[in-house]
Amino acid sequence: MRIVLHLAEQTVREAMRRRFLNVILLFSIVMIGASSMFSQWAPGAELKMMLDTGLGFIRFFGMLMAVFIGAMLIPTEVETKTAYVLLSKPVTRWHFLLGKFLGAFATVGINVLIMGGVFVLVMFLKRGTFEAVPNLYSNLAYAVVLLACEMLVLLSITVMVSTIASWIFTSVFAFFVYFAGHVSASLKHLATPEYYESPLARGMIKVLYVVLPHFEDFDVREPIIVGDPLEWSIVSGTIGLGLLYAGIMITLGWLFFSEREV
Amino acid sequence: MASAIKTEGLTKYYGSLLRKPVVGVEDLTLDVKMGQVYGLVGPNGSGKTTTLKLLLGLIFPTRGTMTLLGRDVRDPASRQRVGFLPDGPYFYDHLNADELLSFYGGLFGLSGAELRKRSDELLEMVGMAGPERRRRIREYSKGMIQRVGVAQALINDPDVVLLDEPTAGLDPIGAMQIREIMFRLRDRGKTVFLCSHLLGEIERICDNVTILNEGCTVRQGAVQDLVEPGEGYMVEGREVDNEGEQAIRELADSIETGDGLLQAVASDQDKAVAIAQQISENGGEVVSLSRRRRTLEDIFIETIRGGRE
Repeated sequence: MRIVLHLAEQTVREAMRRRFLNVILLFSIVMIGASSMFSQWAPGAELKMMLDTGLGFIRFFGMLMAVFIGAMLIPTEVETKTAYVLLSKPVTRWHFLLGKFLGAFATVGINVLIMGGVFVLVMFLKRGTFEAVPNLYSNLAYAVVLLACEMLVLLSITVMVSTIASWIFTSVFAFFVYFAGHVSASLKHLATPEYYESPLARGMIKVLYVVLPHFEDFDVREPIIVGDPLEWSIVSGTIGLGLLYAGIMITLGWLFFSEREV
Repeated sequence: MASAIKTEGLTKYYGSLLRKPVVGVEDLTLDVKMGQVYGLVGPNGSGKTTTLKLLLGLIFPTRGTMTLLGRDVRDPASRQRVGFLPDGPYFYDHLNADELLSFYGGLFGLSGAELRKRSDELLEMVGMAGPERRRRIREYSKGMIQRVGVAQALINDPDVVLLDEPTAGLDPIGAMQIREIMFRLRDRGKTVFLCSHLLGEIERICDNVTILNEGCTVRQGAVQDLVEPGEGYMVEGREVDNEGEQAIRELADSIETGDGLLQAVASDQDKAVAIAQQISENGGEVVSLSRRRRTLEDIFIETIRGGRE
């Protein structure tokens, strides 16, 4: 575990020194800060507008970070041959992959938390408008944690694919999975004779439904607007499923990477 | 003596089901003993780097067995006492030399004062202990990267050091410094496995050598045995007049002249001394008189041209 954490720390340090990441973070903070302005365009639905724009920006910029950091994590190491030196030390492929993945997740997670913090601050500054909304700040905290978990799942898929593909292919694939993952719940309804007569087509849709991540589960804007308290048991269940999915992806990535020659 | 590196029938073919396999290395058998300085030489594409990558588990063999310090190379612990400098090394260029050594040292469980002391010693040894140690690697010259590369290869005080073209691309001073480090490692009883096509370097440093060509072993043995003295003597002289040259031709087996230098090959010592006397008596200057010796370069060219033994 010492080696894994050492690699993770190095990965965070490397990512934090990347200019593009700092630019994305800065830009996202500006956009999240500006979300209070957008809310003025929807009188009577300020909270919905704030949540749609603020959490939407966090989700969008978090997704960009997860995809680009994840897609470049392994291919860059192999292409620039830094993996040669690293794997010539007593570092297994599992150490390497897990350490890099945890470092990448720490980077994305820290950035999501910073963006989430800025968003909560913006909400706090507009507290006069939303003081009647119950459970607002605790629900927002859960929303940010769930967003970080969503990014964990996306990152794990990206890293898994990057062990066998170029970073460009991986990025395109990850974007596709991300958007498909946001509509995957509707696949369940499509896998019925009402929509598809062919059992084969229905079977394929069912497989897709099972395999694709269900990113909608991480979206809790509705209960925040209504003011329903988010139950920890439900939140922790979603996080648990996210961790399980990410664990399966990283294990698959390790199986691919352990057979790969560098 | 225990083996530091051992391979038996090591073979690596590159390719896929759809392509004809390309030989990386074929049936390579090595037995590098502890404390030896071993050279692996061959032209580009002969399988030197493939061998190193196989030994480090970066690529996988098609067949054959390998051990590092008695452990199967598939066991990561086999690399605990091993250092490696790749050809044209690439490092995390956002780090400086201190941070790089700290990172690699951490992978071996080094930390705190011990790690700092070791980093200081190594940076001193490779001539990077000045302010450059705090500059980012992306600002380093090729020679500086190579030197930091040597330092990282030694961070764990390894028993076995694998070096792939360690002096490639360095200026003469830089190359000399790296050679000095290799001599120092040899003097400290470390096993050095050196891949290079700089034959003078190999001849000067290595005890044993394997010559590879197109993935196959074409010559193997002690450097001393391979470059054993050849037959006859070589006499070199300057400013020899025509009369003297004529007399030397009668004594020598062969003679070559050019740029004022005369090189005569004599079959025995008496004839060589007689040739030297002729040079002196005819107003010339004897430059050298020595046993003829085949260099590793002669052997290398001979074997590569001759193909497999």
